Amino acid sequence: MSNQSLPNDAPSWLRQMDRVLDAIAALCRGITGTSLVFLTVIFGWLVFGRYVLNATPTWVEQAALLLVMVIAFLGAAVGIHENTHLSVTLLRTSSPPRFKTLLIVLTDLILAGFGGLMLWYGAQLTMFKWGSMIPLIHLPEGLRSLPLTIGGGLVMLFSLGHLIRLWVGVDTRKDSFD
Amino acid sequence: ENWRGWNIHVDGYPNTVAMDKFAELLAEKTGGEITLQMFHGGTLGSQPDAIEQVRLGGLEVGNFNLGPIGPIAPEANVVSLPFIFKDVPHMFRVLNGEGGEMISAGMEAKGLIPLAWYDAGARSFYNGGKPINTPADVAGMKVRVMNNDLYSGMIAELGGNPSPMAFAEVYQALKTGVVDGAENNWPSYESTGHFEVAGYYSLSQHLIIPECLCINADSYNGLSDEMKAAVKEAAMESAELQHSLWAEREEASRAKVESGGVVTNEIADKAPFQAAMGPVYEGYLSSNPDLRPLVELIQATD
Amino acid sequence: MGLLVLLGLFALCVVIGVPVAFALGVSAIAAFWFEGLPLMIGFQRIISGINVFSLMAIPFFIFAGELMFHGGIAMRLVRFASAAVGAVRGGLGIVNVFSSMLFGGISGSAVADISALGSILVPVMKEKGYDADYAVNVTVTSSIAGIIIPPSHNMIIFAIAAGGGISISKLFLAGVVPGILMCVCLAVAAYLVAVKRGYKAEKFPGWTALALTFASAIPGLMTAVIIVGGVLSGVFTVTESGAFGAIYAFVVTLLVYRNITWANFKLAVGQAVRTTAMVMILIACAGAFAYMLTFYQVPAKTVTLLTGLTDNPILILLMINAALLILGMIMDMAALILICTPIFLPVANSLGIDPLQFGMILLVNLGLGLCTPPVGSCLFVGCAVGKLPMEQAVRTIWPFYAAIFVALMMITFIPAISMTLPNMLQ
Ligand code: NA
Ligand code: NA
Repeated sequence: MSNQSLPNDAPSWLRQMDRVLDAIAALCRGITGTSLVFLTVIFGWLVFGRYVLNATPTWVEQAALLLVMVIAFLGAAVGIHENTHLSVTLLRTSSPPRFKTLLIVLTDLILAGFGGLMLWYGAQLTMFKWGSMIPLIHLPEGLRSLPLTIGGGLVMLFSLGHLIRLWVGVDTRKDSFD
Repeated sequence: ENWRGWNIHVDGYPNTVAMDKFAELLAEKTGGEITLQMFHGGTLGSQPDAIEQVRLGGLEVGNFNLGPIGPIAPEANVVSLPFIFKDVPHMFRVLNGEGGEMISAGMEAKGLIPLAWYDAGARSFYNGGKPINTPADVAGMKVRVMNNDLYSGMIAELGGNPSPMAFAEVYQALKTGVVDGAENNWPSYESTGHFEVAGYYSLSQHLIIPECLCINADSYNGLSDEMKAAVKEAAMESAELQHSLWAEREEASRAKVESGGVVTNEIADKAPFQAAMGPVYEGYLSSNPDLRPLVELIQATD
Repeated sequence: MGLLVLLGLFALCVVIGVPVAFALGVSAIAAFWFEGLPLMIGFQRIISGINVFSLMAIPFFIFAGELMFHGGIAMRLVRFASAAVGAVRGGLGIVNVFSSMLFGGISGSAVADISALGSILVPVMKEKGYDADYAVNVTVTSSIAGIIIPPSHNMIIFAIAAGGGISISKLFLAGVVPGILMCVCLAVAAYLVAVKRGYKAEKFPGWTALALTFASAIPGLMTAVIIVGGVLSGVFTVTESGAFGAIYAFVVTLLVYRNITWANFKLAVGQAVRTTAMVMILIACAGAFAYMLTFYQVPAKTVTLLTGLTDNPILILLMINAALLILGMIMDMAALILICTPIFLPVANSLGIDPLQFGMILLVNLGLGLCTPPVGSCLFVGCAVGKLPMEQAVRTIWPFYAAIFVALMMITFIPAISMTLPNMLQ
């Protein structure tokens, strides 16, 4: 959820957009949460394999690194939607309203642009590396950059969502308006 | 032109000295037209990352081990087949002949040109419990290996338990017994301090993986013939220096760990180890059938 | 010029309120572009920043902490801890410091320490009425003990960077006294700040109450026993122990305390993922930022600049400390160890400083850097688990920096602190 709900007089297309973005964020939370649980379980399996079966599952280490990518980049995108990233808001909170809005627009534009670059160059990196295999798990090396690519697209999407809400004057982030 | 170079080794290491020498010779032989700024200690990224950076043209040169090039160029992976080389001189005879050309061609297709081959010695097993003389001694042993199917396959075929593990965790893991052993060459066995916690070094010499002084293919192919010759010459001379420094370093490391109480043993009969590698070779050849001639060429080289 | 782009854009982004992680990423990518480097490599650096196995401790310990919190283990630990040390002002702060000393003796990693102890102790301290910034400050700064008290991955990296002439066993021994010294200094600071802020001491509830709270906390305390015992006996590595901590916490809360419901579990997972992602994206983008700093040879140039100012041995030592502190503020540890050791070690040797002692000076300095803005993994994790804006944590952290600084000066100028134990080994 991008914080509180929309006011009652919000246009219906905006509600629609909100529902879609919320659904995407919820899907990401589901994926990252499952990844974390799975990550924990495969490490248990690793130790069990080494001690009890005397056969260490050699795929765990590389698989774990991939899962962490998923958690980090999808989770970071959700963090944009929910506004939970660490940032320094000193200037913003002490600025007059119009300047403050300018700062917020600038921030969202920078985030959207950076998300776009993540998407574009992440896709190139993914294609560049698709041909070689990650040792021990036999999956394409390109998978390593896929979470960054998708996460980048989502960062762009969620920041644009912020901007659109701000544009129609219904932004609900705590510090958007005074 | 100002080039940038990558090297994983620290100050004073043979490869570091040799790469600095390469930079010096490069400036000298090109009359200052090409300069090279070296970044040692792997500070611009891990080895697989740096290989990618050279391929993409972010860096021009790098000193790479052929092991991590294997997943990109299958031809280069052939040197990661356990026991494929009889000894280090044999490995160099192969690389300086037709075998070297085939490997180079495979790498060039992926945007990397090896200018010269560096020596990285031979890797052998070490552990904290007992000398290894036969495959039976490896059976049941948890051995840390690098991330490569061939290496983990090797340990598995010997009856051991291959345990991939981050390099930084190995010292502590050997000490507490999370793993029983690992494998490396003399200088690394010494500099990582692993000899302090795993005092039996058995000269299996199962992997003899060379290193290369590599250059980005576009950077090299864009040079005039004269410049190419100068670059190549500088690389060959730096390799010569590296080989002699490496030999000294191996001796020094061996002397140091042996005076530190390490028990070294030759393996009288390596045939049973080699015989156990059949499935590893078959697996490699079945996924790279066109590389059979290269493997046979190496085996036929004297 | 390129360096100006990197640092200037970073500062600008931070000031207008771009999340710090993205400010690092944006300025690094801009510098890549400015230098004509392929931008794909910039994003490769962001990925590689977290393609690091030892960082796996972060999600595991954070997850374990959330499970303990939502499953009721943490609450029982609070009752026990406040019964035991509540009679001392700032008692939980002091407990926090010494927990890090003990945990540092197992984990060897500051990030593991802050993820593990921070996830449990910060909520606990907040619940007992300590200010969030105090709780975060204590936890963040004491996590450096993980690096100084053996074992320590970073000491191994230092030994390798020094060219292999250093015995790792001796290096480990050299860290024991400096680590304890640092924790004592921090405990003193934790006490003084607690007194200054007027945190009230509770009445000692009596031995019976203490025993009862202890009994109910035993299954929770067993988490520590399992982690410690498992690592020391070689059943698993520290990273793996984090996963076991999480699995154990889940089993205990499910079967023993019966506090964990599906809703609670989802809450714990969700919170753990959120915190992990916040921290990991910061570390990822800091990787690209550090690449450009290395590219511009910032470490080497800083060193030349500062050490060129004087030839007085005491001042040179202070300059070395200053250079390391400054670099530590903007870059993370492992890369700096590799870059700075070959530059500084010969200088230190020429002043008669033993490599072991130099290692301690280096590690404490860079460790302090992990707790400072703008780039500090421990500060990142601390603020994330404490749900505290970074500027708020940093505003009141000074007494704790000062405590580490005092320890640092003693370690720099009194060789015996580092050398006595390793010399006894001979
Ligand atoms: Na602590
Ligand atoms: Na820092």
